[in-house]
Amino acid sequence: MSRINLRVWLIIPDAEAATVKNTLIRRMGYGDTLADVKKERLFSIDVDSGNPQELAKAFAKELVNENKESYRAYFDGIKFEAGYVPVKVALKIEDGEAISIMYRLRNRLGFQNVRGVEKATVWKLYLKGENPESAAKEIAEGLLINPNKDSYEILGKESSVRVVAAMK
Amino acid sequence: MKIAVMQFPGTNCEYECLVSVKEVGMDGEIFRWNRPAAELSVFDGFIVPGGWSYADRIRAGVIASKEPVMDALREEAAKGKPILGICNGFQILVESGLLPGTTCNGKVEMALAQNVMISNKRIVRRGYYVDWVNIKHDAAPRRCSGSFNLSKGELLQIPIAHGEGNLVTMEKSLIQNLNDEGQVVFRYCDSNGRTTPEFPVNVNGSTENIAGICNPEGNVLGMMPHPERAFFAWQLPPHDLRKHQKDAVGTGRRIFESMKRYIEVTA
Amino acid sequence: MKIIGLTDKEVESSLRSAGIGMSVAEARSIAKVLNRDPTLTELFCYDAMWSEHCSYKSSRATLKEFMPTEGPNVVLGPQEDAGVVAIDDKWCVVISHESHNHPSQVLPNEGAATGIGGDVRDVNCMGATVVATADPLRFGNPYGPQKNKVRWVAEGVVDGIWQYGNALGVPNLAGDVVFDESFDFNCLVNIVALGIMKKDQIIHSRAPKGAGEKEYDVILIGKPTDASGLGGVTFASEALCEEDEATNRGAVQIPDPFLKNVLFKANDDLFRLVRQEGVEIGFKDLGGGGFTCATSEMGSSAGYGMEIDLDMMHKAGDFPPEVLSIAETQERFLIISPRKLRERILKIYNEDWDLPNVYEGARASVVGKIVTHDRFLAKHKGQIVCDVPIKHLTGGIRYQREEKPRAMSLAEPVVDMPVDMNAVMLKILGSPNIASREYIYRYYDTEVMGNTVIRPGEADAGLIAPVRGEKFGVALAVDSNPFYGRINPYWGGATSVAECLRNVAAIGATPAAITDCLNFGNPEKPEAFWEFREAVKGLSEACKKLWLKGYVNQPIPIVSGNVSFYNECPSGSVAPSPVVACVGTMKDADKAVTMELKAAGDKLFLIGPRYDELGGSEYYKTIFGVTGANVPIVRFELERSMIYAVIDAIDQGLVAACHDISNGGLAATLSEMALTRPAELGLDVDLSNAGGPGMRTDKIMFSESSGFVIEAKARSEAKLAEIIKIYGLEIMEIGSVTKARRILMRNNGSNVVDLDLDEARKVWVEGLAEAMR
Repeated sequence: MSRINLRVWLIIPDAEAATVKNTLIRRMGYGDTLADVKKERLFSIDVDSGNPQELAKAFAKELVNENKESYRAYFDGIKFEAGYVPVKVALKIEDGEAISIMYRLRNRLGFQNVRGVEKATVWKLYLKGENPESAAKEIAEGLLINPNKDSYEILGKESSVRVVAAMK
Repeated sequence: MKIAVMQFPGTNCEYECLVSVKEVGMDGEIFRWNRPAAELSVFDGFIVPGGWSYADRIRAGVIASKEPVMDALREEAAKGKPILGICNGFQILVESGLLPGTTCNGKVEMALAQNVMISNKRIVRRGYYVDWVNIKHDAAPRRCSGSFNLSKGELLQIPIAHGEGNLVTMEKSLIQNLNDEGQVVFRYCDSNGRTTPEFPVNVNGSTENIAGICNPEGNVLGMMPHPERAFFAWQLPPHDLRKHQKDAVGTGRRIFESMKRYIEVTA
Repeated sequence: MKIIGLTDKEVESSLRSAGIGMSVAEARSIAKVLNRDPTLTELFCYDAMWSEHCSYKSSRATLKEFMPTEGPNVVLGPQEDAGVVAIDDKWCVVISHESHNHPSQVLPNEGAATGIGGDVRDVNCMGATVVATADPLRFGNPYGPQKNKVRWVAEGVVDGIWQYGNALGVPNLAGDVVFDESFDFNCLVNIVALGIMKKDQIIHSRAPKGAGEKEYDVILIGKPTDASGLGGVTFASEALCEEDEATNRGAVQIPDPFLKNVLFKANDDLFRLVRQEGVEIGFKDLGGGGFTCATSEMGSSAGYGMEIDLDMMHKAGDFPPEVLSIAETQERFLIISPRKLRERILKIYNEDWDLPNVYEGARASVVGKIVTHDRFLAKHKGQIVCDVPIKHLTGGIRYQREEKPRAMSLAEPVVDMPVDMNAVMLKILGSPNIASREYIYRYYDTEVMGNTVIRPGEADAGLIAPVRGEKFGVALAVDSNPFYGRINPYWGGATSVAECLRNVAAIGATPAAITDCLNFGNPEKPEAFWEFREAVKGLSEACKKLWLKGYVNQPIPIVSGNVSFYNECPSGSVAPSPVVACVGTMKDADKAVTMELKAAGDKLFLIGPRYDELGGSEYYKTIFGVTGANVPIVRFELERSMIYAVIDAIDQGLVAACHDISNGGLAATLSEMALTRPAELGLDVDLSNAGGPGMRTDKIMFSESSGFVIEAKARSEAKLAEIIKIYGLEIMEIGSVTKARRILMRNNGSNVVDLDLDEARKVWVEGLAEAMR
């Protein structure tokens, strides 16, 4: 079993990230600490066979909208750059979209080697000040998640991710 | 008697809500999100209508819940004034901690998550869904501002249109508390009032078929179905006999009449 | 760019490497008029303005030759962004009809969403409130060799439509979906948008009188201009094939219904301001051809020139002038207004509605002025990058394309009548082209605005009561049958009009006008151009012969439309698809009827004789896999009489339910009346009288000749027969509504079909979900 991680980001202006930044600064008092907000989608796909490089390309063709997005594939681990705190937000209740993606890859596109799919949003918080991680935590709990359905995790420079939609 | 119909960027049901407010004999106006929040205090009641405030960015309702007008609305709610949140308005009230409001500290105790339609233990559909549904009034009369005039067990036929109406919570005792305190105002049911837990009766997978709840004080009501779209008899589906009956009205009208009555009684 | 003095080959090569689609001859003609080499920006501007999409260069002559566009109820024909038709003395309906086919094939979600987004802007910019949309869709075969791709496209398109329309807050009122192999590589996404407004409040999409002399402002509002959609228009005019899709992706625009929702409300304040001040402004949306198209057309149509400073535009980055000029960034409008209103207009958008905080970089900016000279002049970083005669730029060019009938060998099949007609019925009811559309329309917000009286699935047309305090209703239906069009494009065009009118009449509304979206192959191919001409002739002929009710010899006016060519790939073109939308009005929306059976014991009547017309029918296609030859034709006088009789009968309150006969014939029509919610009643029908002498049972059941099935209200039968007779028609009593929940059809004393309602309903409801999953 190997894991393919696709980090996907917009190459056009990200209206959602702009709104988050605007809200944090104008409505939640982060004007002094927050420099910028960026957002990525993260797909983690478990496969039990096949060439990961080639599969990553094939999955990206399906999951990445080249008209507005770009991506980078990672295998097993996942890396983030320095300069921001990556906050991963995922559903802790059943993620219907991840399940749909898994069935689409398996059934409609014939990738029977796909065993599990997880989908998450990674908020990249560019923070000033002494303790960016604790500010990120505060922002995650204050805005980015509803604890009744979402979970969050501040990702280290290298992380691995849990799988929620898996073949039973 | 003057009602403010709140308008956030992306709200799209404010005009028909205002029509409903006026039709039952209340005065009202649309209140744009960037007006001075202090101006809200002159109103007697508030409606947070449906739509896609801030494009549902991050998750439905959360960005609007951070607007200064929502702080003002919290203050007005504390005075006992009625607030009715419909669909996206319900989502905003949940994200701002006004509903279910059992802990008083603004804690977000529940979420309106993505719809899941389950039938025979199988997921038959997900996502946005539009249809007319039946809901049962499950609170006592006069328990809640927006259902003040409704008797317990009364059925309403009313449309839904949402993608995130599935009530979930991680608070273990919340549902029990809501039931015990009579805060569950509406549940999805069939035309005979049976609350079968499966689609299409439970249209979005919501816990215990919950379609609407109020705060412990009863002045704040949030509901996923749209009473303003079931206000006139002619809006009803064709197989509803009331559609062409002279002097018939839509059942959604009862919500707005209730709000009016609540204001009259509490004034 | 150097053109003068270079060989054709050299010019061709520099045009293509710059990404310009125009021909060498076109480029030379521009250099000749300018008397110099054009700049890159100028060539891009001409390329956009002279594209098929903006200039109708292949189609205009044909449209002008045949199409009736005027009528006593026409307030504004197809000259501006949308057509305007009077409902009464005070209120008008505004309608626009666009295609977004190629972009939707490449990126279904964004493509379809942009289709809605562009079309509603066309209606709003006339000053109207957008109150409804409709979505005629054509997809490939969901069970054919391209099924994965087809389903991916279909799913993405439906998602794009609901995500945009629902968030914008405009109900989806009507639509249709047809699946056919000819759309495997070229889906069709047509969008109709409907608006409502007072007749005296129309805002025109041209500079007002005096604007040049007083140097009115040119104000750009909305999303910051970016490079998205660059070349979208030229792309919509080129045939699509699989290999191109990757490179074509950059041509699709990114829509934003949320920003549009706020813009519409701000626009309402703008309209209020100009009414208060009693001034005239020009207002136009930015669609195909972007900024250059909107600005130059606004100036040119009023006889003025324009001076633009591209540096004053709000933009999402530092883009070259040719990009700023023609990029198709969504959610933008252009205002031409007197200077005295400048500050107040900017305040509406930038402060009251706070655009910069609603969408990063969005706002209103003054970007230039109207002038009296005849040039279209644009500056960028202090340099003049475009200086051309404005009329020349907007005038476009014309081509007279060649036409040649497509060679086809068509024959009626010789087939035995199937033994088990129950099985045949179930197969037809579950076919993706007959099955209930519910799987799709449950995604669509059909209720928002609170105006909806009849929603998708309840009748042949949707109906809204858009103005509180007024009793009138506005009906909307769409139609086009690609199977008829393939066999005979003329009758394809004529039947599109006839069926669409029938759809509107079936709820009791009176057809007031139509729009068309003409989807064809490559017009440079004589066969494709022939199909286009034939369809336009058929469509126009139907309008001319079917008359506005209440007038003699007065055609149904065609008030808006669109032509989409190049819907083809190397393996062939789409079936000729002249998609028609019909808007109808009724004085009292409460009189409208729906199609589900109402009361046991009610009598069922057929109007419209059955002919041997099964060419292109669902029956031939689904049961025998053949096409046939005898397409339904329109018997104009019969059709007109049927439509009028149904409208009158409903108006007089005699009709409990009504449904027109089309795909799947009489048998499908009857079944649908029983299967539509609440699906609590059955029917018992005798087909003996329905067909001509000696007509085979299956042909009676499945002939797609036009007609209606009417459920008469109890004790209204005689009165109904009387009205039918006034129009010189035969009414046939064919059966009755039953309490037994069965679909029962007999002929010559024996049961032909006897189906349990629940069994039939299961098949009918699941047919489309199966095809799209």
